Amino acid sequence: MSAIAWTKRTALGAALCALALSATAQTAPPATPAAQDLLAQVRQRVHDAPVVRGGFEQLKTVKGFKQPLRSSGDFVVARGKGIVWHVLKPFESTLVVRPDSLQSRGSDGKLTTQMRAQDEPVLRTVNAMLFAVMSANLTELAQHFEVTGQVAAKGWSLHLVPRDPTLAQWLAAVELQGNQFVQEVKLQEARGDSSLIRILTPVAENALRPQDAAQFE
Amino acid sequence: MTAHTPVQDAPPGWLWRTAALAWLLVVIAVGVHQWQFWKHDGIDTDVMALLPVNEQAPDVALATEQLVGQMSRQVVVLLGASEWADALAAVQVFRQSLATGAGARLREDPIAQKTSMEAALGFYQPWRERLLTPAQRAMLAGTPDAALVQKALQDLYQPAVQARLSDWVSDPLGLWTQWWAARGAQSQARPRDGELWVAADGQQWAVLQFTLEGSAFRLSGEPVLDGALQTALAQVRAKWPGARMVTAGVPLHAEAAAVQANWEINTIGWGSLAGVLLLAWLAFRSLRPVALVGVSLLVGCAVALSVTALFFGQVHLLTLVFGASLVGVAEDYGIHYFASRQGAPARSPHGLMRALMPALWLALGTSAIAYLALGAAAFPGLRQMAVFSVVGLTAAMLTVVCWFPWLDRGSMPHSPVAQSIGQTLMAWPRWRHALPGSVAVCVAMALLLWLLGGLRAQDDVRQLQNASTPLVAQQRQVGEILGLPSPAQFYLVQGNSPEQVLQREEELKDRLDALVARQLLVGYSGVSDWVPSARRQDSDGELVARAQEAVFKGVNAELGESFARPATPPPAPITVQAWLAQPISAAARPLWLGECDGSYRSLLMLRGVTDLASLPALAGAAQGLEGVAWVDKPAEISALLQRYRISMTELLLLGHVLVLAALWLRFGRKAWRAWMPTVLASLVVVGVLTAFGAPWQLFNVLALMLLLGVGIDYGIFLQEHEDDPHAWLAVVIGAGSTWLSFGLLGLSATPALKAFGLTLMLGLPLVLVLAPLFRSATDNKEH
Repeated sequence: MSAIAWTKRTALGAALCALALSATAQTAPPATPAAQDLLAQVRQRVHDAPVVRGGFEQLKTVKGFKQPLRSSGDFVVARGKGIVWHVLKPFESTLVVRPDSLQSRGSDGKLTTQMRAQDEPVLRTVNAMLFAVMSANLTELAQHFEVTGQVAAKGWSLHLVPRDPTLAQWLAAVELQGNQFVQEVKLQEARGDSSLIRILTPVAENALRPQDAAQFE
Repeated sequence: MTAHTPVQDAPPGWLWRTAALAWLLVVIAVGVHQWQFWKHDGIDTDVMALLPVNEQAPDVALATEQLVGQMSRQVVVLLGASEWADALAAVQVFRQSLATGAGARLREDPIAQKTSMEAALGFYQPWRERLLTPAQRAMLAGTPDAALVQKALQDLYQPAVQARLSDWVSDPLGLWTQWWAARGAQSQARPRDGELWVAADGQQWAVLQFTLEGSAFRLSGEPVLDGALQTALAQVRAKWPGARMVTAGVPLHAEAAAVQANWEINTIGWGSLAGVLLLAWLAFRSLRPVALVGVSLLVGCAVALSVTALFFGQVHLLTLVFGASLVGVAEDYGIHYFASRQGAPARSPHGLMRALMPALWLALGTSAIAYLALGAAAFPGLRQMAVFSVVGLTAAMLTVVCWFPWLDRGSMPHSPVAQSIGQTLMAWPRWRHALPGSVAVCVAMALLLWLLGGLRAQDDVRQLQNASTPLVAQQRQVGEILGLPSPAQFYLVQGNSPEQVLQREEELKDRLDALVARQLLVGYSGVSDWVPSARRQDSDGELVARAQEAVFKGVNAELGESFARPATPPPAPITVQAWLAQPISAAARPLWLGECDGSYRSLLMLRGVTDLASLPALAGAAQGLEGVAWVDKPAEISALLQRYRISMTELLLLGHVLVLAALWLRFGRKAWRAWMPTVLASLVVVGVLTAFGAPWQLFNVLALMLLLGVGIDYGIFLQEHEDDPHAWLAVVIGAGSTWLSFGLLGLSATPALKAFGLTLMLGLPLVLVLAPLFRSATDNKEH
C-alpha cells in the first residue's frame, strides 16, 4: 500500500529539478503553416552529416563582471552520440554531453561534474535539446521552442522562445544563425546573462576520428 | 437419564416461561440493533486490522498507525503510452471518464500544479548559503582552495548548460542549484506540460493521484472503484490501443478484499445453511425442525454480529468470513434436540430438554473454551472472531433451550434415512484394548513425526496477507517507477526537542551515506533533508563562507575583478515549524510525526532497498544511536507470529489437559474415551500436513484448538448417550454440516482462514470415525 503519500514529494521534486536543470520538454502543438514552411526551408539548407567538427569562440556576459568572458576551443557533434565541447583558452576543460549523461573535466582530466540520466531523468531532454541546437535539428527544436525567423540567400536565422514556462524562467530566447551549418548561437538568459557562441570553420565528416570516439566511451 | 427409560415429565414451570420471554426481548433488541447496523454499515475493510499490534514498542505502533492513516485514502494511477503526446491526451480522456459515475468519488489531487517553485525559493532564500547536500559538504571540506577556484573558472567559461537559481556573484559554485536538484532527485517524476511525467519500461507515464471521498466501503460485492478505473482505461484504449495503466493504493486493496470477502461470506454462509437444512430435512422429514434450526442459526448470527459490533465498534470483514462457518457448528444443539425427540417421542419437549441440558452445556463449554483461546493472541482480527463465535454459539444454544420446547409442538415423523444412519452405530466396531492401543498409536505417530524431521514451521507474515497478486505486483511497479520509499522498513527517530530529532537524523544519515556508497540502498528521505539541524546549518554556513571567499579571491586574481562577500550576520536557523507551514513541505510532512508526551518524533524512510540481504546492515546503522529505532514491519510481525505459534501450542496442550479434567468431573474414569478420538485425530492431521510438506503456522495450531472444542463434543454426546442411535444421528448430522462449513472455509483466499478450514476439514471426519470406536467394550450399559 506503500508509497502513495510520497507522490506529493514527486511533484515537488519534479518542479525543482525541472527548474534546476532548465529542462522541460513540451509537446509541439501543430506548427503553423508558416512555421512549417520555414522549418522545411531551413532543413533543406542544413548539411545533415553524421559528424560535424570545428572551432568556436564564446563571449559570455555575466552580471557583476566588469569584463565579458571570452573563451575559445574546438568541438565535435556526432549524431546519436553527443557533443564534445573542448575549451582551450583561457582555461582548458572538456564538456562531454551524451544522450544519458553529462560530464565536465578539468585540464588535469579529473571529473568535476557528472550527471546521469538515471539519477536525473530530465537530463535526457536537456541533452537532446543541446544536441538539437548544435546540429540545427529542427524537428526537435520545434518541440521545445516557438520558432520564427527568415531564410535568405546568404543564410537563415531563427528566433527560438521556450514554450514551457519553467524553461522560460531560465532561458529567455535563443538566436540561431547559419547556412549549411549553424554559425552563431546566442543564449539570452532570463536573469540578464548572455552567451554568444561563434562556430568557426565547421566541417562535415562521415565518421568520428579515433581520438574523438574515445571521448564518447 | 437416557432416552430409553420412560419418564413422566412435570409440566414446564415459570422458569421456562420467563426464560423464553426474556430471550424474546433480547432477540427483539438485537433485531433493532441489526437494522441500525446495516443502515450505517459498520463493516471494517482495513487490511491491516488483522495484523497484531506491537505490544513491545507502543511508540513504533503509534508511528506505523500514523503512517498508514496518512495514506489510507490515496490512489495513484500511472497512465502510459509510448509517446508522451499520446499519454498527455489520454490523461484528458481518462479524467473525463472518471469524473462520472462511481469514479467521481475519486477526487484528483492537482499535484503537478500545486507546488509553487517561486514561493519555495522565496521561503528558503534567507538560508541559501547554509544548506548543503552530503556530497557538497564532503566536496567543500575535502577540496583545496585552488581546485575550487579552478572549478569556478571552468564553469564560467563553459557554455551555459546549468540553469542558475541565483546570480553568479551570490553563488559562484552553484551550490544552491545543486541542493535543489538533490531535493528533486528524491523522486523520478517531473512536471511536464502541467502533468507529472516519468519515463520507465519504454513508456511515457503520466502520474495521477486521487483521494477517495465519502464513507468506507459498502459490502456490495461489486468492485466499484476498479470498475470505474477499468472503464476509463477502456475509453482511453479505444483511441490508443497500446495505452497501459498501473494503479496503487490502499482503497483498491480494501475493495478487492471486500469483493473477495463478500463472495466468501455468501459461499460459506449460504452453502453451510443449505447443507444444514438439507441434512435436517433428510433426518427429520418435517418442516418444523428445518425451520427451527434455521431460526436458531439466524438468531445466533444476529446476536453474534450485534455483540461484536457493540464490543469492537466495527466488525471486520474477515470476522464475517470466519463467522459464516459458525453456521456449521451452531446447528449442533438444535439437531441434537430433534434427534433425541425422534428417539423419545413419548416425552414432553421440556422434560426432554431438561435431560439433554448437561450434555449441551458441556459441549457449549468446551467449544467456547476453544474459541476463546483464539482470542488470547494479540491479533485484533482473531479476538473479534473469538467473540463472534462464542456469542453466536451461546445465542444459538439459548434459542434451542428457551424456545424449542415451546415451539416444537406435535409429533416427530419417522425418517428412514435417520434410522439407517442411527443403525450404523450398532454395526460400528469397538476397540477392545482402546487405552493401550491408542497410547501406542500416539507414540508411533510422534515417532514418525520425529523421523520425518519435525514440523516445517512457517511464520512469514506474507502468509497472512491476501492482497490479490496482480494488485501487489502493480503496487510494486508503481513504487519502482516513481522511485518511492517503501513503508515496510524505516527508522523512527525520537528526541526531546525538534533540534535533537534533527541532529539524531543527521547522525543516522551520515552512517547511511556509507551504505548508499556500498549500494545497499539508493537513498533516504527525512525531514532533516529539508530542515537541517541548527548545528548543521551553522557548520554548513561556515563551510560555504570559507569556500566563497577562496573562490572570490582566486577569480579576482585571475580576471582582475573585485568580488567580495557581503558582511551580513547569519540569519536565525530555519525551523521545522516554519517549514511545516509552507506548501513546499507537503511531500515530506508525513515524515514529521510531531510531539507526543514531550517527545518529538520523525520517520526516516529508505528508497531502493531491493535486496533483503541489506536489511541487517540497515538495522545495524541504528545501533548505538540514541533515540533511533530500526523498524522492520514484516520481520517484526513474523517474529510475533512465531512467538504466538509457540505459546499457542503450549496453550493447546494445556487446553487438552483442562478438557480432560472437565470430562473427568462428568464421566470419571471413562473420561479418556471422550477425549482420545480428538487427540488421535489431531496427531494424524499434524502427520498428514507434515508428510505433504505443508507449512506449519500459527493458524494450524489455532485450528487444532477448534478441533479440540468441536471434536470433543462428539465424544461427549456418545459417552452421554452411549449406544443411542439418535445421539449418533445428531453427531453424524452435526459433523456433516460442520465439515461442510469448514470445508467451504478452506476455499477462502485468505491463507490464515484456509489453514483453519483445511485443518478442520481433515480433523473432523477423523474424530467422527474414531469416536464410536472408543465406546466401552462391554455390552452392559454403565451409567
